[in-house]
Amino acid sequence: MINFHPSEMQLQSFANGTLNPSLSLIVSSHCDLCRHCQQKLKEVTQVVASQSLIVSEKEESDLSVFGDMMQNIMDEPEDMNTRASEPSFLDLDGRHFPLPRSLGRFVNRTASWKKLVGKLWQAQVDIGGDVRAEFIYMEHGGSVPEHTHRGNEWTLVINGEFEDGHHHFETGDLILLDSQHTHTPVSNDPDGCLVFSIVDKPLHFTSGLARLLNPFSHLFFK
Amino acid sequence: MLVETTLQHSKTTSNKMNAANTESSSGLSSEVLAECLVAVAERRCRTSFSKLFSHFAPRLRSYALKQIGNEAIAMELVQDTLTNVWQKAHLFNGEKGMPSTWVFTIARNLRFDFLRKMQSRKEDICADDLWPVLVEQTASLDEELVDDTVTLEQILEKVGLLPEKQKQVILAVYVHGKSQQEVADETDTPLGTIKSRTRLALQKLKELLDEND
Repeated sequence: MINFHPSEMQLQSFANGTLNPSLSLIVSSHCDLCRHCQQKLKEVTQVVASQSLIVSEKEESDLSVFGDMMQNIMDEPEDMNTRASEPSFLDLDGRHFPLPRSLGRFVNRTASWKKLVGKLWQAQVDIGGDVRAEFIYMEHGGSVPEHTHRGNEWTLVINGEFEDGHHHFETGDLILLDSQHTHTPVSNDPDGCLVFSIVDKPLHFTSGLARLLNPFSHLFFK
Repeated sequence: MLVETTLQHSKTTSNKMNAANTESSSGLSSEVLAECLVAVAERRCRTSFSKLFSHFAPRLRSYALKQIGNEAIAMELVQDTLTNVWQKAHLFNGEKGMPSTWVFTIARNLRFDFLRKMQSRKEDICADDLWPVLVEQTASLDEELVDDTVTLEQILEKVGLLPEKQKQVILAVYVHGKSQQEVADETDTPLGTIKSRTRLALQKLKELLDEND
């Protein structure tokens, strides 16, 4: 069961189109997996739409500002040139993970898998901007060294379960962390756990050998 | 907890919706707007489209002006939105939602993509990824991604290649978490030397890592 959802405010900004694009991608992917939020988003969008498309009687009565716009539009032919997007999958080690619709287009922009330490796999995704996006797969018993965040870390569980010393997360859960949080993700799922994650500043490792990564975090942050 | 938020949410939703309905009562009802969209989709009905235009154009213009502030761009947004309504009315599904919500989502998507193009360091996330309102096939980009990832194993391997004194200072500071002062005291070395040794070691490591590419 999905236990971690975007807040009402975040859904509202998302429906408004004003939420940060990277976070929007995570929220949108969450909604692809979460029926509860899909329904909620539908309601929120309806409210946002009715609040956005309002007009005074004076403005409504004056159509002269639009000139020939209506005629010009009706000169255009009908456009039937649309089709539904195909489901897309991410492959790793013989496994075939279905992706949320919102991430579908990014499969072609995902680098090949790289094995890291601690039974971790990582594949970087090019979503542009000043952020780093990646798929991370934790094998059974795989873990990320304890770290905190200099900026934001937004994560969506795509398939499987993991713990981070504070909570237990399952497929569809949305995890939004910042510099106030220190955690050590580890997956005890026999099938491991695939997540999609975006960070806007390098991670800061807080213990052991992994601290050696800190002076280079800008390198593997990009 | 989940149930509680849902209930609370539904209550606020219906309150807001009642308020919104009174404000926009001067326009056409959802039923009439939906009939017009169907007539445009099925018969290219120009009378129905002119009703849709008269209802939505002023509302969209007011929305666009508030959002963007520029009259010319606002008018472009109105035109693009209503062109989509005229050309793709067949994609409206009355069972899925109200006409005003559908038209709003088209305008919001156009606005999102417009603002995205205005930014310099933009994320390459388009409205279609987020809200498939007018689902269209998007071109795939088979760009070769530059793999510039550095793993902990690679760094450890390179640390091993450093001169002994540089290796000691890197391990003491970054692995054992000692301050440079502590390292200076323990090794009976001036702090300035430890500092420059650390800087040199990091430079050397970067060079070694760059050679990997």
